[in-house]
Order: sequence, then C-alpha cells, then structure tokens
Amino acid sequence: MSVSIPELLISDGFITHGDRQRIDEICVNLGQSFIKVALNFGFISRKNYERSLTNAGYVFEEIREQEYDGDILSQIELKFSNDHLALPLRAENGKMVTLMADPSNELFKDFIKFTYDMEPEIILASDLDITWMSHRLLGERYVKSAVFELLNRDAKASALVTFTMPQLIFIFVMIGLITSGLVLDFKNTSIILNVIVSTFFLVAITFKLFLALVGSRFELHQAVTNQDVREVVDDDLPAYTIHLPVYKEDKLIKKLVWNLQSLDYPREKLDIKLLIEEDDDKTLNAVRNLDFPAVFEVIVVPFHMPKTKPKACNYGLHFSRGKYLTIYDAEDIPDTDQLKKVAALFDKLPSNYICVQSALNYFNRNENFLTRMFTLEYSYWFDYMLPGLDTLDIPIPLGGTSNHFKTENLIGLGAWDPFNVTEDADLGVRAYEKGYKVAIINSTTYEEANNEPFNWIRQRSRWIKGYMQTYLVHMRNPVDLYRRIGLKGVLGFSFFIGATPFTFLVYPFLLLVFICYMVFDLSTIRTLFPDWVLFMSIFNLIVGNILMIYVNMMAVFKRRFYDLILFSIANPVYWLMHSIASYKALYQLVVKPFYWEKTNHGLSKTHNPVNVVS
Amino acid sequence: MRKRSTYIILITIVLAIYYLVSGIYLNRLGYFNSETLFYIEKARIIFDGVGNRLKVMGLTAPILPFYATFIFTSIDYVLAPVIASAIGTALLFNLMVNTLLRDSKDDFYLAILLAIFLFHPGMLYTAISGKGIYLILIFFYLFFLNLFKFYRSSTTFHISVASICLVILTFCEYKFIWLTLFFIPLVLSITINSLNLSERESIFRLFLSFNSPSLRRKLVNKTFALYMLIFILPVISVVCYKLLNLIHANDLNYFIESPYASWSVFVDNLNYNISTSTFSQKVPDMSVLLSAKILLYCPLILLALYLFKEHTYQILTILTPFALLEFLRVKYERSYLSHEFYLIFVILALLCIILKAQNFSNQKLFKIMLSSGVVIQLFTGYYALKHSQVEDERDFMSILLKPEVSTQQDDNRDLANYINSLPDDSRVMIDDAIAYPIVAFIHNTKKLIMPYQEKYLTAVEAPRDAVDYMLVATTKNPVSGYTQLNPLYLETVKANDASVSLKRIYEDDHWMLYRID
Repeated sequence: MSVSIPELLISDGFITHGDRQRIDEICVNLGQSFIKVALNFGFISRKNYERSLTNAGYVFEEIREQEYDGDILSQIELKFSNDHLALPLRAENGKMVTLMADPSNELFKDFIKFTYDMEPEIILASDLDITWMSHRLLGERYVKSAVFELLNRDAKASALVTFTMPQLIFIFVMIGLITSGLVLDFKNTSIILNVIVSTFFLVAITFKLFLALVGSRFELHQAVTNQDVREVVDDDLPAYTIHLPVYKEDKLIKKLVWNLQSLDYPREKLDIKLLIEEDDDKTLNAVRNLDFPAVFEVIVVPFHMPKTKPKACNYGLHFSRGKYLTIYDAEDIPDTDQLKKVAALFDKLPSNYICVQSALNYFNRNENFLTRMFTLEYSYWFDYMLPGLDTLDIPIPLGGTSNHFKTENLIGLGAWDPFNVTEDADLGVRAYEKGYKVAIINSTTYEEANNEPFNWIRQRSRWIKGYMQTYLVHMRNPVDLYRRIGLKGVLGFSFFIGATPFTFLVYPFLLLVFICYMVFDLSTIRTLFPDWVLFMSIFNLIVGNILMIYVNMMAVFKRRFYDLILFSIANPVYWLMHSIASYKALYQLVVKPFYWEKTNHGLSKTHNPVNVVS
Repeated sequence: MRKRSTYIILITIVLAIYYLVSGIYLNRLGYFNSETLFYIEKARIIFDGVGNRLKVMGLTAPILPFYATFIFTSIDYVLAPVIASAIGTALLFNLMVNTLLRDSKDDFYLAILLAIFLFHPGMLYTAISGKGIYLILIFFYLFFLNLFKFYRSSTTFHISVASICLVILTFCEYKFIWLTLFFIPLVLSITINSLNLSERESIFRLFLSFNSPSLRRKLVNKTFALYMLIFILPVISVVCYKLLNLIHANDLNYFIESPYASWSVFVDNLNYNISTSTFSQKVPDMSVLLSAKILLYCPLILLALYLFKEHTYQILTILTPFALLEFLRVKYERSYLSHEFYLIFVILALLCIILKAQNFSNQKLFKIMLSSGVVIQLFTGYYALKHSQVEDERDFMSILLKPEVSTQQDDNRDLANYINSLPDDSRVMIDDAIAYPIVAFIHNTKKLIMPYQEKYLTAVEAPRDAVDYMLVATTKNPVSGYTQLNPLYLETVKANDASVSLKRIYEDDHWMLYRID
C-alpha cells in the first residue's frame, strides 16, 4: 500500500495533472500538505477523496475514541499537525500510532521517525476527524489565549467584569436617590424623572436624524469606484482571511460554499476558515457530506467557556495568514467584488485606518412584516448612520459581519473580547480609543433577515445586551474616555451606543403615559403631572416617533426599496418589539452576561441569488 | 477666500445695523403693526402674566416668528420684534450670499443682492416692520434652494432638508402647507425623468411607464415615496399641532381661527370689510390677474423662467408658487394676500438667476438685463406697498416715505398709560382678542384679567366680585362685535346685578374703562 495518493487521485480522474501542479505550488507557498490543499481549495470533494482511497483498499476508521498519550502530543505543534492533517497519538508495539488523512505523506512520516524515533503505524481517518482530534487535544493553549488574551493585556477593556464597583455604587446610589425622592415627594420626583427621560429620548432621536442627514449628504460618494476595482492586479493582492464562525448551521453549508465560490478573488490567496465548535457535529457532518469541493478550511474550536463567536474568531486568528481579515456569517452573500474593493481602499487610505465596514442589507426583505422592518432599519443604519458617524469622526460600532481588518492591527488591539456579545461594536470603539480609524465602503453584504418573532427577539436581545456591555466597559472611567476620544466622541458614543438600549427601555413607559392620557383620559395622570410636563413628554414622544419614522423613510431611497416606505409608519410597533428584547437583555446582563443567544439561520424561504457586481 | 468671508460678515453686520437703526427710528416715530403688537402682548403674558401661560405659549400662531422675538424681549418688549426682524433679514442676506455666491469671484451679483436688501421696499418692510416675514423668506429660500440642489445631486439629504424647511415654513405661515398640493405634478415629473428609459420626451416616457406593469409599479412607488419624503413631515407636524389645539382648546383650528391665537383673524377680516365697503380703483386680487400682478411686481421671475427654459422640473418648481397663490386667492377669499406672498417671488427669482447666471453666454447683456430688472423691481415694490389692500403695508410705506411722528397708536398708548397708573393691586378685565394693542403697552400684566386665565369666566359672570375695572369696546370700535365686553354686556351686568355701580373713568373713540363699585 505505498501508492501515492496524488497519483491515485489523478488515475481515478478526480484531479488533473494541471491541478496537481497547482496544488504542489500552493503546498510550497503555504507549507501545507497535498491533501490539505486539495480538500480546502476546491480541487476535490471529500466524498470523491474517500471514494478513491476506499477503492484503492484503504479503510477509514473512527478515531474519536482512540487513546492518546499526553507526552507524545506535547512534542507536536498544533499548526504542524493541522497543516498536514496528521496526529501521532501513542506508542504501541514499538510503533507510533499516527492518524493520517494522507498515508503517503512522506514528510510527516519522516517527522514521526525523527521526533519519536519510531516507525509510524498509520490509521487512516477523515481529515475532519483528524482536525477535530488535533484541535481538541492540542488546542488548549490557543483557546486559553483566545479567551484570556485581552483580559491579560488590558483588563479594563474586557467585559469579563460586567459592573465595576464604582459603577455598582453609582447605580445603587441613583436607585437610592430616586426611591428616596419618590417616598419623600412622589409628585415632584416623578415630574423630574419624566422630564429628564422624555427629553433624553427626544435628544437621542434628534441626534440620529442629524446623523442620517449627515450620512445622506454623501450617499453618492463612492469610496471605491468600479474603475478602481478594474485596475486591481490579481498578482499584487495579498492573502485574505475570511472567518466563518458557525454553530449548528448544517442547513447553510451548501449555500455557503456557493457564495464563497462566487467571490472575485484569487483562490489561492483566500484563507477561509470555517470555525466549528467542538460539540457541533451537525455542521461537521454537513461539511463531511458535501458532494462537491469545499473552498474552506475547517478549524475546530475546543470547548471553553464562554461559548461565543468572538472566542471562536480569536481562536481562528491563530491559524490565519491573511494580511486582511473579515468575518461573514454562514448565510451572508457579499458583493462579489467586495474583497477587491476593500484591498483597493486600504491601499488608498492612510495607515491609521485599520478597519473597513461594508454595508449590510437583507436578501429576503419582502418575506414578511418583520423582514421588511429589519430591512428598513439596516438600510438607515448602514447607509446613513454609519457614514454619518464616519463623517463626524465619531466611534463607529462595527456591524456583526463584513468588517474587514488589517490582521496585524487587529492582533495589536487584542482582537475581539470573548466576553462581549457585540464584540464588533466594542472593537470599533476600542480601535477609536487607540487612535485608529474605521472607514465605510460602498459594498454590501446581503444577509438573511430574521423572519420569526421569537428568533428576532433572541437576536435583538443579544445585540442590546452587547451595547449595554460595551457602554459599561468604556464608561468605567468617563474622564479617561474623554481624554482619549474627546467630547464629540464621548457624546456620540453615549447617544449612539448608550442611548440605544435606554430609549428602548423607556419607550413603553412613555407610550403608556401617552395612551393613558390621550386615549383613556386618565385623571390620575393629569393630577400627577402638571400640564406643561405632559405637554413636553407627549411632544417628545410624538416628535421622537415621527423623526424615527422619517429616518426610516429616508432609508429606502438609496436602496430604491420604494415599496417599503409605508412600512416605516409601523416603526412604533417595531420599537415595542425592541423594548421586549431590551428587557430580556437587561435581565440577561445581570444573570448571564456572556450567554450567546443563538440566532437560527436558514429559516428564509426566499431564493437568494449571488450578488454579482459587474 | 477668508478675506471675502470676513468682508461678507462685515456687510451683514452693517446691513443689520442699518435695519436696526431704521426700525428703531420708525418705532420711536410711533409705527406699529397688528402683528408686532400681538407678539408684544403675548410675550408680556408669557413672561409676566399669571395663569395658563402654557396654552398661550403653545398655541399662539404663527408660532416660530413669535418664538423668535423671545430672545430679544430681555432687551425691550416693544422693540423685540423689530430687533428680531432686522437681524433675521440681515441673516437672510448672509445666507443667500454664502450659499449662492460662496465660490463666485464676480461681485456684481453681491451688489445686486445688496441693492435689493438695501433699497427694495418689500425687504425694508421685512426688516423694519417687526413682522415675521423674514422667517418665511429664510425658510422659503432654503426649501427651494434644497429642491434645486436635489435636482442636481439626487441625494436624500437635500430632499430631507427641503422637507424640514417646509415644516418650519409652515409654522411661520400656515398657508404654505398648501404647497403640498401643487408639488404632485412636479414629483411625478421628477420620477418620470429618473426612470431608466430610452425615450427622451417626458410625455412619451409617461406613456411608456403607464403601459408597462413593472414600470408603472415603479413609477407609482417612487412617486409616492418621493412625495412622502418631502411632505410627510409637514403634514404630520400640522396634524399633531392641530391635535394639540384640540386637546388644549377643543378646536382643531384654534391656531388659525381664534383671535386669541392669531393676529390675522380680525385684521384680515377688517381689511377685507373696509376695502369692499369703500370705493377703490385698485386692481383686485382675481385669478389670472393675480399672476399678472406678480409678474409686474417681480419681472425678474420671467428671466428666471427663461434661464431654466429647457429644464422641465425647474420650470414646474418656479410655477408652483404661482399655483399656490391662485389657490390661496380662492381658498381664503375674505383676506388679501399680504406682502410676503409677493416677496417670495423676489427671493425665488434671485435664487434661480444666481444659480444659472453663469450659463448665459453674453454676460454683459445679462448683467444689463438683470440690473434693469432690479431697478424696475424697486419701483414696482414701492408701488405695490403704497397701493396695497392691507392697511399695515400702506401705513409702513407712508411713514417710510414721510418719516413723521405717527399718531396711529396714540389712543391705545394713552389708555394703556392710564391703566399703568392704576394701583398695582387693582384688577382690570380686558378681552385681548381685540384689545391686544392696548395690552402691548401695559407694563404690569399681573393686574389684568384676560381670557387665557381660568378666573376670566368668573369675572365675566360676576365682575363685581372678581375685578375692579373693565375695559369695554364702544360701538364705534370696528371690531366691537368680536368681543363680549361691549355695551350690550354692560346692560347684561346691570340686569343681573341691580346694585352694581359702573363708573366710566376713561373713554376714547374705541374704548371705555369702567370702575366697578
């Protein structure tokens, strides 16, 4: 059985000589084994690979229950094992029991002989199982780093501690003062609270309108033109890492491969990592069962709490080789030229720009009420708000996906905070604090809008909880924050990140007062609040709602979703859903701050074509 | 560039001083108009009055010109509207120069603007009279400026800012809400032109769009969306404001129909009644004739139309205010169009001409035409004001041309001075629906019992228990029919309470002040 696997694959007709030559070239460039490149760069499907070897008389074995020796494992580096899809487990009968996906990998066999002074006894296993085993057994150091790196480097920037002692004192003093005020003078305290809250509500929304107007002013500006993209030379492009953190997304894997294959970027320069949790056999099996070639590398993230997306991304960062790095969700459909655009933009921008955020929008916008509202919201957020923040030089809370980083600077920043459930928003502010800038690019990634209310609330509660965490983390020392990002930055940060959960939390109360006063004409309300207070609160509420509706209406213009304009009138109802999510977020912030509310994807029945950009 | 901006700021300051000096001078000569007196009276109530001032503050209309005078009430109640209008008009000049001539190296257009702002009687009326016209002109200008910018850039920003300006404009003069009606064809035209069709002619584009289901849907959706984006804010704002009126005054149209909320309710009626009951050779405001009158008043608008001759929606945009005025003439048949509705054409013409001036090939000829137009306009402006149907405008022109001490408000001042001389603890019942020109001159409004206060009703029912004095309109007072406190009321009081003793302590042609014993 000393058949060369590459020859076997050629003789079986699964790859050509030309493919082999290209694979060999990539192997030399990346220092990876033949089979690793063949399986991860779209040359052969796992099914065909197994079929070829099985036909040649090889037997694939189940390896997860195999015994292993810690001393043996301590002599091999995870990255080497990962690159060669091979792992020595234990010494047995004077031989080294070694898992290998390619039994003809002479380099790894030599490694075994020289390192352990033994001949290898090869157990053939699926590359995915070997990856799973190697990361589980050797990944502890990396996963610890993924979890604690930021904490060790800059504990103040980590959300591990949700409330610091001064923050707790402040919160309880405020609660104490309000309670005392209510006990001692219920009426006046209520009036003061009402005035402060409703005014804050209006100011926060007016600020959003202002941002939208500033953002809309430059809506025709193209950071990168089609001509710029045409002028990009493929050979000059750097390696580009794409992280695809997934958890139980088995239904989306086929779609994911299709979307990734549509990206206009040299294949060998793409470093796509599918980050799968150790306990996620569903997704792993979905990858195993693909009957066409995959274009990504699977990285198995060993179990460690908290089980969050940022932790997975931090783990994947150890194995990333791209000059630039981005994150997509499994269901994302980026503009096909997005990576080239980003590379072109980074070349144009000054060196302190370390991140480029693409716009996000939804491909299933007309599916139901929720998806329409979600589309309106995302349209104004990414098309107007973020460009507005960018223009005013205010910290930008990055969107969940499609943010493209310079890998080196990302690592320098301590990467993502695994304890923060909106790690991207936090990272945007952290980058700004360090003097870095974020740019917005005229490229869109289409995602799947949540079309199911409970799923929506789960997702939204996580986002709002993340905003709360981010605000608490960066407001631990407001004076220090002011020194680092200035007054404009602090105000922008407070009104954009801090005010968002707050407005959702107070909205039902304002609405309740409004309904009691206007609809039911409740006399108690009139006796409690003088006319001027009621006038002011209702003015704030009505004007606030109108402005928010208007901002939503503006959003349809750039995207030309004219049929959605009337749905913006339903915004007050949509806000109530936000309020429900906010209360859930507040509860979770106290009882389980790091819990990652999983959003189910793949619920949409909408056909989503690839967003080809000519 | 920096030097030029300093230079423009200096001109603005000089212009503001010129307006201020002129305004204060006319004010000292005794020139007042109904609108400023109304604002002065309401400002006194808000800052010095006792009772439900929130209602006065929230429902006085037009609300923004009223609020704009607030800033200057700390200087002087009586001068506050004049100061506001003087500074506001100078700001309008600055705004126009900064938005239209920022990058221009040719000072000719600056001189044209300056000539209009210095000498045009309408602009002087705006700046010196203390009326809220300056705010109307500012936001009318910004609304149209942003529309024109939208045609050029197609960005949501300009259309949204135009919409916000229209909201403010509506709260400066409610009648502008009707602009929303006349933009429908314009919006349709914009949409048709934005569709990706090979056909060039608008009418054929429309034909193609209507006969293809997908294009038709697109056309309807986009027209509707654009229309909503421009007009939803003003329409909703007006609806909310009307609801506010309903809640606080039990009347949706309180702010436009109640004499307690708006100065124009009586003034318009009075002007109309006087002019229809007396023989006049003035050209009436009739359909078509009104548009002709505007063209005579502002011939530069013809030049503006010529400059945009190949631009359908710009032409439609310029014609929209004509349609609005024709509509207003029909809708508000019992009131004359006041001067601001003519002045908007001066502003619009200047905006269009300066925007397109560079496109005219023979600049020398163009400048001669423009200069001639400006000279004609100065004259027509003078003529229009001098022969206006509106009394306030004629009064202004008379005092401007012949600056002599005016006795116009002497009676009201004398009466107010008499009330001022009453002991501070005395209570005087006054109906400010028609007596606001007197209240405007009363220093201590705390001694007044007026309809905005809850105790006014009690005072009307039983004056002997509630007040010491009451001001009653005489039968000669042309608006005595609009107040309860008239000679008929005196008889009712006497009939209800035979023991009441009413002693007339002050009297002029229009008013009688009674002491109640």
